[in-house]
Amino acid sequence: MSLIAEDIRVFYGRREALRGVSLRAEPGEFTAIVGPNGSGKSTLLGALTASLPYAGRVTLNGREIDGLQPWELSSERAVLPQASRLAFPFTVLEVVRLGVQAGTAGDRPEVPMQALARVGLAHYAERTFQELSGGEAQRVMLARVLAQVWSPIEDGRPRWLLLDEPVSSLDIAHQLQVMEIARDFARAGGGVIAVMHDLNLTAMFADRVAVLAEGQRLAFGTPREVFSDGILSRAYGCDLRVSAPPPVGTPYILPHAATA
Amino acid sequence: MAVITDSFIPPRDRVARARALHGLLAAALLVACALSLQIGATDVRLTTLLAKLAQGQDLSQMERVVLFDIRLPRLAMGALVGAALAVSGAVMQGLFRNPLADPGIVGVGAGAGLGAILAIVLGGLLPLSLAGLVGPYLVPIAAFLGGWGGTLLLYKVATRHGRTSVATMLLAGIALAALAGALSGVMVYIADDNQLRDLTFWGLGSLAGASWAKVLAAGPLVMLALAASLTLGRGLNGLALGEATAAHIGIDVQRMKSIAILTVAGATGAAVAVAGGIGFIGIVVPHLLRLASGPDHRTLLPNAALLGATLLILADVIARVVIAPAELPIGIVTAVLGAPVFLWILLKRRGMVDL
Ligand SMILES: Nc1ncnc2c1ncn2[C@@H]1O[C@H](COP(=O)(O)OP(=O)(O)OP(=O)(O)O)[C@@H](O)[C@H]1O
Ligand SMILES: [Mg+2]
Repeated sequence: MSLIAEDIRVFYGRREALRGVSLRAEPGEFTAIVGPNGSGKSTLLGALTASLPYAGRVTLNGREIDGLQPWELSSERAVLPQASRLAFPFTVLEVVRLGVQAGTAGDRPEVPMQALARVGLAHYAERTFQELSGGEAQRVMLARVLAQVWSPIEDGRPRWLLLDEPVSSLDIAHQLQVMEIARDFARAGGGVIAVMHDLNLTAMFADRVAVLAEGQRLAFGTPREVFSDGILSRAYGCDLRVSAPPPVGTPYILPHAATA
Repeated sequence: MAVITDSFIPPRDRVARARALHGLLAAALLVACALSLQIGATDVRLTTLLAKLAQGQDLSQMERVVLFDIRLPRLAMGALVGAALAVSGAVMQGLFRNPLADPGIVGVGAGAGLGAILAIVLGGLLPLSLAGLVGPYLVPIAAFLGGWGGTLLLYKVATRHGRTSVATMLLAGIALAALAGALSGVMVYIADDNQLRDLTFWGLGSLAGASWAKVLAAGPLVMLALAASLTLGRGLNGLALGEATAAHIGIDVQRMKSIAILTVAGATGAAVAVAGGIGFIGIVVPHLLRLASGPDHRTLLPNAALLGATLLILADVIARVVIAPAELPIGIVTAVLGAPVFLWILLKRRGMVDL
């Protein structure tokens, strides 16, 4: 019952955006994917969610996703895209309900409102989605994916959250809130895979980190294993310093640009 | 800890509102039907006929003809065409993820028109056995195929990665309409006198040629398309979030899009085949309904069928009375009423990022 990607390759035309990336995410854990812009993070998430053609194998809870129908996949994992645009003036609550299918845990009538309350936006239920600020819209979309896989584990099968930059346009309080929501989902038995840019938040919340650079996996392990001066500086191509201040020892990353 | 507390507010339910609207629209449709049977060039009145029947009197030959052979088929055709156009518009807007898509505006109607014209003019060239087989369905089927080709082509040209560029959509529509217009022009030269009269009549966009034969020809296709549209609600709702997300919430996007395109082609094709080009119903009806009860396609599509039928029947009544005893082509009435509403929609949306 894991999410396993084996030797994933993705081509956009002739350009190879992913050159054989493997990844194993376990339920109960928060797995982060980090790396510079264009390194292939969204592309990897696209392969993990079967939204683009790829070579290699992706297995979700023991079944290869290639042969699964959209509705079979949607009951086991929810996906938060990097950006969302809505074509019609649905209300916030209607948007949250969109992903909820009959017969799933999210189908209980109170779940969409609870999901909105979880991201602190229950009082926005009747607002028009298109009129929200960027961060508000991002939180509503998170509520939508939460409602889709409301119980982190059902019938012994873990559900999965796949999030592409879930905190990219949030203020610091809501960044923490969203990271806590994701971690709680994992603690309750679900699996979380999130593309992240904020390395310090990643170090605080992730159980496991994959570092991508130029379509390849540079490192994969716990934040303490992976966040070293060498690996990060190589991945991002700039001078980064990692310290792990006691007593907690969570890695702490600072750019080192002011030396010139 | 960033704990942000929040209170529950029971949300006003637009679904309930849409259901109530459903009943209201059904009632409005009945009223429109009665009105359409009541009013006409002759002074045969539904009310008088009903009174006569109630007293056990027989209807005169003239009254029978007016009621059963003139007004009823015309009413049925108006209802079919109105429902078909409104639902085509709503489905197309959902498919293109754009509230301004409309079969008349973006050239699908032109494609269907070309199909119909080809069938009218070249239909005689078909081997007799085949002609006998398709009979009265030839024109609707050809219009359906033309509309289908037009929709597919338009979707291919205007949509990249599930996103439709409005500019591309409109320009492709103009090109499509121009091409269809040119080919139709060629057909006019080939056509004989009889066919030419058919063409002119048909080109005006009118219900004046209504007959039971036409109702039977268009009816099955429209009914099929309306039934298919009822399966599209959840899919089109999901598509509003983009193709990728629609798939992530469990929608078979490719299958849903194929059904949507066939629905548009079937409904538009059938409507165009029997009534010619009638504009603005497809854009105005869904827009009004979204204002009244929100964009949820599960209620929008059935309500669009009801309101489309009602409005077209009323427009036909207007077409029959304003210059009585002569009558206006209904396309003129829908344009005069619909174009200002369309401009008003544009005006309101002017400030929005993605028109
Ligand atoms: N649809 C596409 N067509 C062609 N190339 C693409 C496409 N999408 C992404 N790419 C390319 O593939 C590479 C990886 O893109 P990807 O979106 O996965 O990057 P990312 O790591 O998510 O970056 P970011 O941090 O900016 O979101 C980039 O070089 C990008 O230009
Ligand atoms: Mg990305």
